Amino acid sequence: MLLFDANWSLMTPEIVLAAFALLIFTIDFMTGVKGKKPFIGRLSIVALLTTAALVVGWNGAQTASIGHMFVVDPFSTAFKVVILVGVALVIGISMYYVDRHPDMYQGEFYSLLLFATLGAMLMVSSLDLITLFIGLEILSISAYCLAGFRKYHKKSTESAVKYVVLGGTASAFILYGMSFIYGLTGTTSLVDIGGQIGTLFEAYPYLVMMSLLFMIAGFGFKISVVPFHMWAPDVYEGAPTPVTAFLAAISKVAAFAIVIRVFFIGFEGIYEEWGFLIAIVAAVTMVVGNLIALNQHNIKRLMAYSGIAQAGYLLVPVAAFVTLDMTVSVVLFYAIAYVMMTLGAFAVITFVTEKTGSEDILSFRGLYHRSPFLAIAMSAFLISLAGLPATAGFTGKAWIFFQAISAGLLWLAVVMIVMSVVSFFYYFGIISQMFMKEPDEDVVTRMSIPVSTASVVSVSLVVTIGLGFLPFLLINLFTSMNWMAF
Amino acid sequence: MIPNILSLLVFLPLAGAIVLLLIPRENKNVIRSMAVGTSLLALVLSVAVWSAFDRTVSGMQMGESYPWIDFGIVQIDYALGIDGLSLPLLLLTTIISTVAIVASFTIRERVKEYYVWTLVLITGMLGVFAALDLFLFFLFFELTLIPMFFIIGIWGGKKRSYASFKFLLYTGLGSAVMFMAFIALAFKGADAMNLASATFNMVGLAEAFSNPSNSEAISSTFKAGLFLALLVGFAVKLPIFPLHTWLPDAYAEAPIPATMILAGVLSKLGAYGILRVGYGILPDQAVSFATLIAILGVINIIYGASLALVQTDLRKLIAYASISHMGIILLGAASFTQAGVQGAIFQMVSHGLITALLFFMAGALYVRTKTYTLSELGGLAKSVPVLTGFMLAAALASLGLPGMSGFVSELLAFMGIFGASPDVIPQATVIAVIGALGIILTAAYLLWAVQRTAFGQMDDKYRGLHDARPLEYVPMIGLLGASILIGVFPHLLSDVINSTVIEFVSRIGG
Repeated sequence: MLLFDANWSLMTPEIVLAAFALLIFTIDFMTGVKGKKPFIGRLSIVALLTTAALVVGWNGAQTASIGHMFVVDPFSTAFKVVILVGVALVIGISMYYVDRHPDMYQGEFYSLLLFATLGAMLMVSSLDLITLFIGLEILSISAYCLAGFRKYHKKSTESAVKYVVLGGTASAFILYGMSFIYGLTGTTSLVDIGGQIGTLFEAYPYLVMMSLLFMIAGFGFKISVVPFHMWAPDVYEGAPTPVTAFLAAISKVAAFAIVIRVFFIGFEGIYEEWGFLIAIVAAVTMVVGNLIALNQHNIKRLMAYSGIAQAGYLLVPVAAFVTLDMTVSVVLFYAIAYVMMTLGAFAVITFVTEKTGSEDILSFRGLYHRSPFLAIAMSAFLISLAGLPATAGFTGKAWIFFQAISAGLLWLAVVMIVMSVVSFFYYFGIISQMFMKEPDEDVVTRMSIPVSTASVVSVSLVVTIGLGFLPFLLINLFTSMNWMAF
Repeated sequence: MIPNILSLLVFLPLAGAIVLLLIPRENKNVIRSMAVGTSLLALVLSVAVWSAFDRTVSGMQMGESYPWIDFGIVQIDYALGIDGLSLPLLLLTTIISTVAIVASFTIRERVKEYYVWTLVLITGMLGVFAALDLFLFFLFFELTLIPMFFIIGIWGGKKRSYASFKFLLYTGLGSAVMFMAFIALAFKGADAMNLASATFNMVGLAEAFSNPSNSEAISSTFKAGLFLALLVGFAVKLPIFPLHTWLPDAYAEAPIPATMILAGVLSKLGAYGILRVGYGILPDQAVSFATLIAILGVINIIYGASLALVQTDLRKLIAYASISHMGIILLGAASFTQAGVQGAIFQMVSHGLITALLFFMAGALYVRTKTYTLSELGGLAKSVPVLTGFMLAAALASLGLPGMSGFVSELLAFMGIFGASPDVIPQATVIAVIGALGIILTAAYLLWAVQRTAFGQMDDKYRGLHDARPLEYVPMIGLLGASILIGVFPHLLSDVINSTVIEFVSRIGG
């Protein structure tokens, strides 16, 4: 297929972001890699927000594609905005962290984050297995580097090695699964695959199923669902905390976007064959994630298991299929809620673990006395993660729940609600440390919060609480959307 | 009449909480007076609602309804409204909250935070009583959970952490069961009504479920299962034996003003839920389970009373007494007679007032003696005659002395159960007699408790204790006064609830 007449302007936001990333890289070289560079951090935020504005303003809600390789539609636009705003928040979290660690070369760090974002954007825009894989690898490889960014730090290196070996294996699984489909159809276009999948499955049921299973395993790794979740706690614990935030929020949401894309465009025709599998994976993920989280003492590991459980909730609307638009709306709403509450929580976690020098949950002891603002905000994020009103998490979970019931998956809804109650225990355990325990030291000093952390926490807090009281602002818009039309 | 007065009433405390957040924490007196002012304003508003309430209408009034969230598959309205069942509870909430906030002068630490949580809690409770949409109902119901967790966990007694988590998990599980039942109601109702999207509107659902033409779409087994699920969900909050075990811990560990709210209002959320959702939407199932509910009520009465008899701790004694008295609500409601249902509503109000007063008295004595242990108390009538006098009055009100609200409500509830139709409860008399035995036990443990506290030998260390302070008169006189007022002029209350009750009973008996 020759694409000389392709409408390259659709890629403008990606091109702009790539240009910014290269610019930052260049500036970094010219100014020497070491030292504090708050300017570059701010420039990255500008880059991300400019790109987000372009995504909305330039491409808008149109549906257009470059030969079904790269597609711009409301689905990709919405996910890109979530990702870009999310990464901007991650950079806000990082600005405090990188200044405290001289081994975090700042320019390099920010440009890697931007490249990872670029990969995520390509992923959500891909309608072809090749572009999808390129995007996935740009994101993954940048993320491996980021995880091991503190190279003199044992745990960080360990986490990067684990991540690269296991992540590479997962990519291989995905690629292997794709190869079956390509061999059978001779095409990598998801739309073409979707058109043939019904007859293909009748002719070669085992091959198609094999391909599906490999892809479920590979993507399951990327979104960290049980039983492909083992890497998450170790990597999350060892990686620099802002990178953990990136992995937990951005990388997971981008992977969810392609899961929807691949399974609902490519394999919708044989939904009956895999819908049930996804439902089981979702149920097991919710149960295992929540139960293991009960026993965690390291806050980053706890957030890893909490993130696994949350991925289980996010999988429920994928398994409980009513209409494609409905699934996308539900996933997108909960993804926004999840990104906001997770990043808000990580902003607090980064600050507190750095201040106290400990990643134990006990480091939150008496946080209320040292910083009421952070303690209250953190409680709001945790309450939202637990799914209590009036927060974005409550509305999002209710919506997922409604969809599961509509699709007739009662048992999955029951698992979800019971596991939500179980999650109260560990989320409220942190709240109890912050509010109900006295700090260790005799003289309590108030913490002074850096502007960057305070801004991230405030933005996340406003969205988390705002979507609890005024969810219709987004929901009524989402339900009127035609997410993917081609 | 002020437009949207219900919304105003419900969100006023929340607005007060937000304003409080802006006041620097050092200004404790400003914060206290702001909180008292907010609760007083809510009380005034609820009195305005009371006086504007049309007593001849049996259905919902002062309704407000706006489309709120359109989930695509589910349509949720922001719908508020009141009838004769919810109005007394709204007023009860504002009364108890006001006296509890006044009684909170004993809270000395983290004052601002405390009042913020209390005000949020009040919004949650008022919202539950005013909500007409089940989703909104659930939202407010859960909203009461978070402030209570903080209040018990931060300002509670020695075992506060344990008590707060127990409270959180028990009521959380109860809510989970309740939410599943709500969703089943909504989806099945939409199915029967052939709606494109499910609705949580209580009035609409009540019609869908009681309409005989829908009996094919909704089987009676399904309805029975739903009713049981609702019963279990609400039973935790009420609490009904054997789902009550969180209660003694929570009541004993929470700070006194919070216990007043817990026992006075939060327990009514469960009873209200059973009446509003269970009886309101599934009246036929309520009738078929009437015997079960009556037996549960009797078990509550006897179990609570027997355990109250053997308590050595004054607060735990009152906590078990509270469980016992909640049984009377179930008993009255199960009878499906006009008197019985009236008695149930009377008992909700009366129990709220009196239990709150009892807990307040226990707290007032604790402030002076530093103990709740009955064996260490005694003879306090000599040093604090006013306090012990009020305590005796509260105990008498609780055991049903004529002229006080407890008498009216117990009389009505027992009249109801004695007069229950044999079609509803086969052996109603037996149940009623056993229940009445519980009332004798009530007299025994309450008077014994007062005797062990107020009379007998006084320990020397209690000599010269300070008797009631001016601020303490507010809750004491307010609560006791309200109880006597209802006892002497029961028509003040029955006026408001009558038309709703009549309609309620006729629909069920129909």
